[in-house]
Amino acid sequence: MSVTSAAVVAIDREAIRELIYRICLLLDQNKFVEWLAHCTPDFRYTISAWSPEIRRDMIWLDHDLDGITNLMKMLPKHNSDQTPLTRHASVYTIDHHPERGEADVVTSVAIFATALDGGATELWALGRYHDTVSVADGVPRLRRRNVRLETRSLGIGKHWPL
Amino acid sequence: MARTAADWDKTPPLPPTHYVDPRIYSDPAVFAEEQEKIFAKVWVIACHESEIPNANDYRTFAHPAGKNLLVVRGEDGKVRTFYNVCPHRGNTIVYNPAGNGKHITCIFHAWAFNTKGDCIDITREKQGYGDRLNKKDYGLREVRTAVGYGGMVWVTLDDAAGPLEEYIGHALDGMLKCLESEPLDIFHYHKAVVNTNFKFWHDTNSEFYHDYMHYHNRQTSMLLPTYWEREYVPFPNGHAQVGDQVVNYEAYEGFHSRELSFPGLPRNGWKMVDLFPNCTYNIRGSSLRLDTMTPLSPTRTVIEFRGLGLTRDTPAERSQRIRDYNSIWGPFGRNLHEDLLGVMGQGRAIGRGQTWILHGREEQHKIHDEVGMRHYYTEWTRRMGRSATESSRMTTARS
Repeated sequence: MSVTSAAVVAIDREAIRELIYRICLLLDQNKFVEWLAHCTPDFRYTISAWSPEIRRDMIWLDHDLDGITNLMKMLPKHNSDQTPLTRHASVYTIDHHPERGEADVVTSVAIFATALDGGATELWALGRYHDTVSVADGVPRLRRRNVRLETRSLGIGKHWPL
Repeated sequence: MARTAADWDKTPPLPPTHYVDPRIYSDPAVFAEEQEKIFAKVWVIACHESEIPNANDYRTFAHPAGKNLLVVRGEDGKVRTFYNVCPHRGNTIVYNPAGNGKHITCIFHAWAFNTKGDCIDITREKQGYGDRLNKKDYGLREVRTAVGYGGMVWVTLDDAAGPLEEYIGHALDGMLKCLESEPLDIFHYHKAVVNTNFKFWHDTNSEFYHDYMHYHNRQTSMLLPTYWEREYVPFPNGHAQVGDQVVNYEAYEGFHSRELSFPGLPRNGWKMVDLFPNCTYNIRGSSLRLDTMTPLSPTRTVIEFRGLGLTRDTPAERSQRIRDYNSIWGPFGRNLHEDLLGVMGQGRAIGRGQTWILHGREEQHKIHDEVGMRHYYTEWTRRMGRSATESSRMTTARS
C-alpha cells in the first residue's frame, strides 16, 4: 500500500469510527430520521440472536430502508414504553475493503435503560453491531447493520431500533 | 363524577362473577394455593417436539408448580420427562437449557442415568452402600408426558390426572387441521420476565376489548364488520376459543397481506384458543404463536413465546414466516410490546389503590364480551375452592 492510500485508509477509519459513534448519539436521542440519513438507499437493518434454548439462530427484526423508515413514522400512533435507552459503544475492528468501497465494522455495545421516574439506570442489553459501511464516495454511510444481541431477556421489549 | 373513599370501595353493581378482588393477583397465600391446587394438577406445555428432534436430545423446563424438569427424547424416540434433580444429593443434573447426551450424568458425584430415567451407575456403589441401596431403586422421578396438539410436549405432575385428551376436550377442535395436518417446527423463542401476575397475561389473551390499545389491530381488524362477529366459545376445564377472523394486514401502512398460511387456515386468517391455566394458541396468517406463563411469585412472571411454522418450509418460506411473526409478535413487534406494556402497568398498580377488577362486559359473547375471563375464573374458583371475589381468606390487606 502506498503512503497516499495508507493515509486515505486512516482517514476512512477515523471517519467510520465517528459515524458509528454519531449514530449512537442520534439513536440515544430518538432522532431516527437523522439516523437514517446516514444510511445508504440499500440499507438493511436486522436484530438477531442465538437461542441456546431452541438451538437456532433467530432474526427478530429485518427491514430495508423503506421498512425501518415506515416503522419509525408509525411510532406516534402506537403505545410505546418511553424509557430512554443510552448506548455505550466501542469500535473493536474495522476491516477495510477498498476494492468494494466498504468496511466491515464490529462494535461492542451495552445499552442502558434509565427510568423516567427517579432516573435509576440498569443494563438493558448487551450485544454487538456488525456493520457494513460504504466509503465509496468519501462519506461513510451505513449500508448494513445487524444488531447481534447476547441479551435475549428484554422485559417488555421495545418499539425502537437499537 | 370522581368518587369518595366510601364510594370507591363499594362493590360494583354487577353479579359477583363479573368482578374479582385484585388480591388474587398479589396475595402470596393465593399464589401458593394456585401452585398446589392448579399447577400441580393440570397438564401444561413444557416445550415443542422440534426442540428435541433427535435421540438423546434434552430440554429443561421450570414447571409453574415449582419443579425443575428435564424433557428427554430417548433412543426409542419416546419423549419422557423427569425431575431435573439428582436423587443423591439434590444437585441439578442438567444445567444447560438444551443439548444432547446419551447418558445423563450428575457432575457432583457422577451418578449416571439413561434416557429412560434408570440409574445406570452409582460410583463406588458397593464400597459405599454394600447391599443397603441399589441403583435400580434410584432412578429419576418420571413425570407423565404426552405429545400432541401440534407436537407440543405436555406434562403433568399429578400421576392421578386424567389423560391430556380429556383435559383439552374439544377446545382445540377448531384449530386441529392447522396443528395436526403436518409437522410443525419452532423458529422463535424468547422470554419476557415481567413484574406482574401470570393471570393478567391470560386475561389479556382472553379479551379483545383491549384492541383499543393496538393501532395495528384497530386498522387491520376492528374496521372490518367481521371483527364484531367474532364470538367466544367456552369449553370445559376453563378453556375458551375466540371466533375466527380474516385480517386486512394491508390496512397498516407498510405492511403486506400474508403470502403464507397454515393448513386449514384461510389466507390472513386468525384463530385463537386460550387454555386454562397458562397457555394460548394463536395462529395468525403464516405463524403460530404459543404463549406459556410460569409465575415466579405473585407479582413476577416469566412469559415464554414460541413461534412455529411448518417443518416442510423452504428457506424463503421460513424467512417470510419469521418476518411476519416479528412484525407484530417479536420483542420489537407492534403488538406484543403494547400488550406487555399493559400487563406491566397492571402489575405496577396492583395493591396500590384498585378495589375491584371488572370482568363485566356482556355483548352476547361477541368480541368485546369479557366472558372469556369470567369462564376462566369459574374454573379457577372450582379448583381453588374459593371465590375470586370473596376475599375473606386472603392474607394481605385491601389497599
